[in-house]
Amino acid sequence: MRKEDTVKLISAEGFEFVIHKEAAMVSQTIRNMLTSPGSFAETEHGEVTFPEISTTILEKICQYFYWSLQYANGKETEFPIEPELTLELMMAANYLHT
Amino acid sequence: MEKQKIGERERESKGMEIEAESRLVRLCIEAACESRESVEKWRKQRRTLNSMPSPLADALLRRLFLRRLLFPSLLEAFKLRVEVVDLKGENNVDAEWMAYLGAFCYLRSLNLADCHRINNSALWSLVGMTSLKEVDISRCAKVTDAGIRHLVSISTLQTLRISETGVTAVGIKLLSSLTNMFVLDLGGLPVTDTALSSLQALTKLEYLDLWGSNISNKGAPVLQKFPKLKFLGLAWTNVTILPNLSSLECLNLSNCTINSVLQGNGNKAHLTKLICSGATFTNEAEAFLYFDTCFLSFLDVSNSSLNGFYFLNHLKAMEYLDLSSSMIGDDSIEAVASIGAILRNLNLGKTRVTSAGVAILVGHVPKLENLSLSRTLVDDLAMSYIGMMPSLKLVDLNNTIINGFIHQDGAEPNLISSLTALHSLKGLESLNLECATIKDAAVDPLSSFQELRLLSLKSPSLTDISLYHLSSLPKIRNLGIRNAVLTDSGLFSFRPPATLEMLDLRGCWLLTEDAILSFRKRHPLIELRHEHVVSTSDQTAHHRLTPPRTFLRPPQVNQKREKLIVSQYFIDQRLKYTREELLALQFQSSSLGSPFDKSHAKPQMQSD
Repeated sequence: MRKEDTVKLISAEGFEFVIHKEAAMVSQTIRNMLTSPGSFAETEHGEVTFPEISTTILEKICQYFYWSLQYANGKETEFPIEPELTLELMMAANYLHT
Repeated sequence: MEKQKIGERERESKGMEIEAESRLVRLCIEAACESRESVEKWRKQRRTLNSMPSPLADALLRRLFLRRLLFPSLLEAFKLRVEVVDLKGENNVDAEWMAYLGAFCYLRSLNLADCHRINNSALWSLVGMTSLKEVDISRCAKVTDAGIRHLVSISTLQTLRISETGVTAVGIKLLSSLTNMFVLDLGGLPVTDTALSSLQALTKLEYLDLWGSNISNKGAPVLQKFPKLKFLGLAWTNVTILPNLSSLECLNLSNCTINSVLQGNGNKAHLTKLICSGATFTNEAEAFLYFDTCFLSFLDVSNSSLNGFYFLNHLKAMEYLDLSSSMIGDDSIEAVASIGAILRNLNLGKTRVTSAGVAILVGHVPKLENLSLSRTLVDDLAMSYIGMMPSLKLVDLNNTIINGFIHQDGAEPNLISSLTALHSLKGLESLNLECATIKDAAVDPLSSFQELRLLSLKSPSLTDISLYHLSSLPKIRNLGIRNAVLTDSGLFSFRPPATLEMLDLRGCWLLTEDAILSFRKRHPLIELRHEHVVSTSDQTAHHRLTPPRTFLRPPQVNQKREKLIVSQYFIDQRLKYTREELLALQFQSSSLGSPFDKSHAKPQMQSD
């Protein structure tokens, strides 16, 4: 995967997730950050930090991005969510508009 | 029509829960409300719960409620975030629930309508709440004047609905201290002229419903003291002379005897909506004289005593017109045509209108979307005229004499299908053809309607052939074939379109219990209505508990359609047999049906 096609998402604890730009764009918030005109640090470096989102949740979010792409392409599987994660994941999803 | 309303309500309630939320939020809410166990997994996460944005907390609480997972002590977890609580119709809600709700710091709206255990002491928990703006306790019959004493302590209240409670005129007078009030629903309460007079202090009032109250002509002038009043409901009252209320936009005078409406000095009211269903007009000529009719866009005069319809000519802004069960006939349709420019909804049901009247409308109703001609004398000739109303989405023709064919007289009498005329209606979504005279051959052209989502048929002449034809409707959601002579094998070989949500086979007397059961097993996502489906409440509960259908996409449907097994010489069996013989036959077919069923009644979903 070429560097231009990826973005780096950084969790509250500093863990880095490198994923496809296309997947990250599932989130309306990230899409806005990466595509908005003007020189956001995010646009330039392809890096977004989420000080409010824990590593566990951000990992789940990334999984969701890829699941969502597959779903859009007609692969109908369930996206499993552990009940313990529902509240935090819900808030992160709400923030990310995804 | 009734079915459709229910459908709409379901969609509304679903829409309310998940409105404007992203898909992952929705999936999370579903997962959080999966079961009692999943709730236990997260309910101790206090800090997260207390930092959750209110709309999310509201949605989560609502979903818990709809899944019947909500209980009083669980409410406690939400007390810092939730702003909107809707418990409408929940019989369990009692003083214990209310004790927890009373501790909700930011509660803005509380709906307890139809919660029959709510009484005065339960309302005591709300005393002194500081953010509460909306309370609905409609039809909580145990609430009386003492309950109102509790509620008047909430000075922030802007909306209060207490219709059909046990409140008397004494309690209503107490409401005068709630001066922030915008919306007040006092329907079905014994509001007297003096009680109304004591409410004059509520000068911000915009909405006042007094249906079924004891207000009389003597008290009506007090209504002029509400300078911002936009909605007024006086249905089922003795008010016959309504003074001029210049701020009024919407007026309900159903089932009143109307002498004059809004007569008096000052600016004329810009009424946009007027409901006079079931009203008796003592002075027809002046009924619509005193307000500015050029803003009126909604008029319901169904079932009223109106004789002349010349007044319609002035109603140029009309969008919704209900003339059902009125005296209107073909001679007055010209007036409807003259105001048809932006008309979207027209109900002429149960009137004397015939096909000739429908012909007059052609070309004058370019925006008409809903047309009801149920229980009128229209016949197949009307179909070609209806086909020329380009915007139609919903057409109701139930209980007419339409049979689907036009008889052409001539040397050789010729049968021409009349329903093909509807093919020109590209947006037709809903069609009600519950006419006893419809036969299989007439139904055939319907099978190629691309946009049809709802189709109702009800005729003893329909057979399996119709069911087979209609299985090719690509977007159908609700299909009704009632009172037809469908057979078990016909239902078995029916391949429902993937979009089908509801199949109504009530009155199809030949179907056996086994056939119905087997269909429900094969198609668990389709709601089946039939006398053999034991409890419909079970079904709705089931509906509530399953996640929205969007997640459950229907199983892949094999497009290969098996050939329909219908004996070519099938005729209505009732013609051949007596009643006793038929009853015996029914048993026979069920015993024949069972081995047939067993092979297909496997619990897992078959992808057919």
